[in-house]
Amino acid sequence: MRHPKDRSGVTRKQLLRGAAVAVGGAGAAAALAACQNTTTAIGACEDGTGEGTVAGGDGGGGGLASNLVVAKPAGPGGLPLPRADNSVEWAITEDNPMPPEGLKTEGGTLRFFNYPDYIDPGTLKKFGKQFDCKVAPGTYNSEDEAVAKLRSGQVPFDVLVFSATHIVDLMARQLLLPLNRAYLPNLEKNIWPQLQDPFYDRGSNYTVPYLTWQDGIGWRNDKIDADIGAMDVPWDIFWESEDWRGKVGLLDDKRDGLSMPMQRDAMRGGYVADLNTEDPELIAKAGSDLEELNDICNIKVTITQYQTLPEGKSWLNHAWSGDLLNAVIFYLEGTDTKPQDLSYWGPDSGGVVQNDFLCIPRTTDKPALAHAFLNFLLDEKNAYDNMINYVGYQPPQKNFDPDTLITSGLIPRTLEKAIIRPEQFAVNQEVLQLTVEGEREWDQAWSKFKAG
Amino acid sequence: MGGRWIWRVLALPGVVWLSLFFLVAFYAVLCVAFGNTNTLNELVPFWSPTQWNVGYVLDVLQNIWDGGQFLTVFLRTFAYVAIALAVALLIGYPVAYFTARHAGRWKGLLLLAIVLPFWINYLMRMLAWINLLSPDGWGTKVLHALSIDQLFIALGLLEGEGGWLEGQASTVVIALIYGYIPFLIIPLFVALDRIDQRQIEAARDLGGSPFSAFRRITLPLSMPGILAGVVLIALPMFGDYYTADLVSASTRTSMIGNQIDQLTRQGSEKVTGAVLTILLSLVLLLLMLYYLRYTRRASAEAGAT
Repeated sequence: MRHPKDRSGVTRKQLLRGAAVAVGGAGAAAALAACQNTTTAIGACEDGTGEGTVAGGDGGGGGLASNLVVAKPAGPGGLPLPRADNSVEWAITEDNPMPPEGLKTEGGTLRFFNYPDYIDPGTLKKFGKQFDCKVAPGTYNSEDEAVAKLRSGQVPFDVLVFSATHIVDLMARQLLLPLNRAYLPNLEKNIWPQLQDPFYDRGSNYTVPYLTWQDGIGWRNDKIDADIGAMDVPWDIFWESEDWRGKVGLLDDKRDGLSMPMQRDAMRGGYVADLNTEDPELIAKAGSDLEELNDICNIKVTITQYQTLPEGKSWLNHAWSGDLLNAVIFYLEGTDTKPQDLSYWGPDSGGVVQNDFLCIPRTTDKPALAHAFLNFLLDEKNAYDNMINYVGYQPPQKNFDPDTLITSGLIPRTLEKAIIRPEQFAVNQEVLQLTVEGEREWDQAWSKFKAG
Repeated sequence: MGGRWIWRVLALPGVVWLSLFFLVAFYAVLCVAFGNTNTLNELVPFWSPTQWNVGYVLDVLQNIWDGGQFLTVFLRTFAYVAIALAVALLIGYPVAYFTARHAGRWKGLLLLAIVLPFWINYLMRMLAWINLLSPDGWGTKVLHALSIDQLFIALGLLEGEGGWLEGQASTVVIALIYGYIPFLIIPLFVALDRIDQRQIEAARDLGGSPFSAFRRITLPLSMPGILAGVVLIALPMFGDYYTADLVSASTRTSMIGNQIDQLTRQGSEKVTGAVLTILLSLVLLLLMLYYLRYTRRASAEAGAT
């Protein structure tokens, strides 16, 4: 492959002509951006400046188009990008105050916007009974899609599940209602202290944690005779998977997918990789590492491992920890697979450990009921039932002793590592929002890999 | 004259509908492809052609010129669709021929049988294939009993016994054929059914062999049906992405539709996704133009005789 900036196929004259038209275009975009992005900067950096730095304008290896995009601020809308070492408290502004205390919970229908299969229908039913309302779940397939739908205002929702991967997108558009802690006693009572005041939303002004997970490896130990967890660099198994060709899978998500070979390199070299890097070379290297897997094992790119592993259609999969628990809880029925046939490994440190959060769209007309729903999901029993009866993903509950899952036989010892512990958050990373330009690098590397 | 007036009025809603939902939508995609994104990573279509930003289009063309991933998926898509069309014709033509000429009173029932499975949603049928083709599925067993899997392995079209779902190009092409073939058979049937039996009898009376009667009478007369069927199934095949996703999911079988889906659904490269959409439309437009030219010439010839 030629370097993307090597564009000898197009004559210089053509390029100049293109650029002339493009400059006119970029001007229009800037004007539009200025009038569309009328949000006040509600983010305040830890250092108090409240200003994002403008990223370098050279456009990296992003090709011509990237050079034409309007100047890149720190994050979408010019807001700061939360990082573990640069936490952000999203200000509560006068035009969007938190709802007052003491409101009565509204009746009617609570509209809940979520990923598919990410809440137990029984949990929703129980809430409806308890608060004399109905819950209407709606689903989205990507956070981008959710933002677009919320922004259009045509699909009003009262509660939203989201992650820090796109939190700035929500903030830049001021889509969220500030939370009133008076309605949320369960946050302080039940939730891991690490997540009560997260760096991506100091003070939990707008969000409360929902479920946690880790990126790791799931495999069928009855088919694969390798002690993957005991390897020096367990990620290497994907590059040694010739024997299981056609039965090896990678998570179909550019951030999870590309950060896997980054973690592998870091483990080999004994350092910690920045999994939110915007370095074009590192991202391209990760992409070409993944491309090797096309020849080695004809890798599949899916997010159905919670189903294909128990069914035996895949034997080795890059997986979210919760998927393996979900597989045991929900997907063994009708297969010959036993719980202990499934194994999981995830790194102790330097990997991806993350949580999704719950938040309330600003357009809600049921702020009290929405708060009640958040508090309901933060309840110990409800959170436990939601995990055990359906989703398999683990709530960050203080009194939730994961060892009981194993001693009670619900989860086999081979999946012990799929259980998330609070201290893991400090030594791992979350997949976080990038600059627009940085995300482009990831998108391009991922598109190249996925073309085979 | 009055008759013509009433047809114009009746056609109006349809024409307006098509214009709105095709032309307007197509123009919007065009303006996105020649547009940009803002600092919120939102699409900013440039509505006026005088402002159009060619940067993204040039980038994609450059990628194709350099043999980048977009060339790979375009070529792969052409290959899959071409093979699927050829095989679908080989399977579909005899079926349509038999139904039209030899099925007699079973004609209606046979047609129904061809169309019946397609009352079920496309996705459901593909999901059913996943179960049929899984290592211990019935489909896999039948294919094994008939030694078809051995044949495929010998031809290098399948990597191992029972491995139909392990990211095989052959499975994707077979699924495409299965998914779209009735839409080829139906117009073929109509064309074949319309052929005047006496023309073929005349050919035979004048000393033509059955083969030359077929080659010189039946085949040319069924050509409009072949073309209509081919166009009808080629268009959706070119844009298909869920078939490859469902029965393979391997990067090595991803089609142009998969790239468009990937780029437009999320992330920062939605404009590039729009550019690919436009390029694909241009290719399909060429196909359509050829079809229109052919049918116009054919009807002109028919008018002249």
